[in-house]
Amino acid sequence: MRVVVTGMGVIAPIGTGVEQFWNAAVNGICGIRKISSFDASGQRSQIAGEIIGFDPASVMSAKQIEQSDRFTQLALCAANFALKDAGDLDGYLPQRVAVSLGSGMGGFSTFESSATRKFQKKSLPPFTVPRIMANSAAAWIASKYGFKGVNLTTSTACSSGGNAIGVGLELIRSGKADVVIAGGAEACVLPLTMSGFEVLFALSTGFNNTPEQASRPFDKGRDGFVIGEGAGIVVLEREEHAKQRGALIHAYLSGYGCTCDAAHIVAPEMEGQVAAMQAAIQDAQIQPEAVDYINAHATSTPLGDIVETKAIKQCFGSHAQKLSISATKSMIGHSIGASAAIGSIATIMALKTGTIHPTINLVAPDPECDLDYTANHAVRKPIQVGLCNAFGFGGNNSTLVFTIN
Amino acid sequence: MATADIEAKVIQFIASKVENVDASAVTAASQFKDLGLDSMDTVQLLFDAEEEFGVTFDGDEVKNLRTVGDIIDYINSHPPAAPQ
Repeated sequence: MRVVVTGMGVIAPIGTGVEQFWNAAVNGICGIRKISSFDASGQRSQIAGEIIGFDPASVMSAKQIEQSDRFTQLALCAANFALKDAGDLDGYLPQRVAVSLGSGMGGFSTFESSATRKFQKKSLPPFTVPRIMANSAAAWIASKYGFKGVNLTTSTACSSGGNAIGVGLELIRSGKADVVIAGGAEACVLPLTMSGFEVLFALSTGFNNTPEQASRPFDKGRDGFVIGEGAGIVVLEREEHAKQRGALIHAYLSGYGCTCDAAHIVAPEMEGQVAAMQAAIQDAQIQPEAVDYINAHATSTPLGDIVETKAIKQCFGSHAQKLSISATKSMIGHSIGASAAIGSIATIMALKTGTIHPTINLVAPDPECDLDYTANHAVRKPIQVGLCNAFGFGGNNSTLVFTIN
Repeated sequence: MATADIEAKVIQFIASKVENVDASAVTAASQFKDLGLDSMDTVQLLFDAEEEFGVTFDGDEVKNLRTVGDIIDYINSHPPAAPQ
């Protein structure tokens, strides 16, 4: 049995909807700006990939907006696009349609605002808990569309979205669902969340006046990641079902690997990343040499980009030099639990269009980052197999394999 | 604020918050459940009313608030603190 992607939806700092997002990505448009959603003058990192002008009213009523956190609203927006793209799912029993969502932080916007009110001895908004809980986005997608099957939320920090899609693959393979709405959502451009990353020296702080240059994976001038927000959703189903209902097949989701470094809580280790890529490649029943493209985790941290480069070399040997690699985060920042879902959509679009989006701001490559990262300009290249890497705090490593055939 | 003003403002405010109920149907005698509000909707409405009218509903007394008039009476008997 093979699993296919028949729907895609995205909302990101460079575009709402796959077409707008992809046009911006291949043109190397940067969505990172000075933070506008709150006064960031007290932050060491004052920039972010924000979704400016997002209006949840396009997908929700005023009452639903009041009852939900921004990450849920972004998830619903992306789900709405993905389901429109997938077409008619009415032939499926509602109990056979699952939702598998990832989020690193859940409703942290509500957490921060409600905590502030509590410490000021003010009343709490009554929907504080249902807005904060990590599974609220998955629950809202289910209730909006009547999807009564398995409903799961994966929270593995920055790899949440990748694992949620991987869980979706397994749900279909195991027969627990016929369709899975899978992906990730995050909305944590927030003072407390950012300060938490700042004290770990994880965020970029040297580009507050030139935000569009701040996210520069693999460049020797990089100084940390840029926080971002967004959501990416894909619709997964069995190949034969998709063909029966005449759906357009975007790509095959052919493999999934997940491993844990079982070492440091935040610092990445090469071996775990290699093992995740190997597991995914083995799961897809392909050889490493068949891989054409990697949508890298590549957050623009000094350590992370080097470790991922070493892991790719270790996994692929001499083939590593032939791979095309690119970093979506160079344009949209790091949207934590949404990042691998958005990266998966970029991977599928690379397969579909034969165009690899660039890694922008790669002006002077770090000598320790010496692979082909598709620097600054998109490349036309027919590709058959693409990987999407995601590595998270907790030493969690996730790799997905998408194929055109 | 005069008592009559508060009554008119509370009714207008609640009328703006309820869905699927004609605004003219909201009166001081309206029970929350008759306005289509379930218990969670009611808690949300009271939270919004606190923000709007600068009052804090006492945790124990909240349970006794069942009608639009109860909110009006509560605000009248608990005037917001004068600005410092």
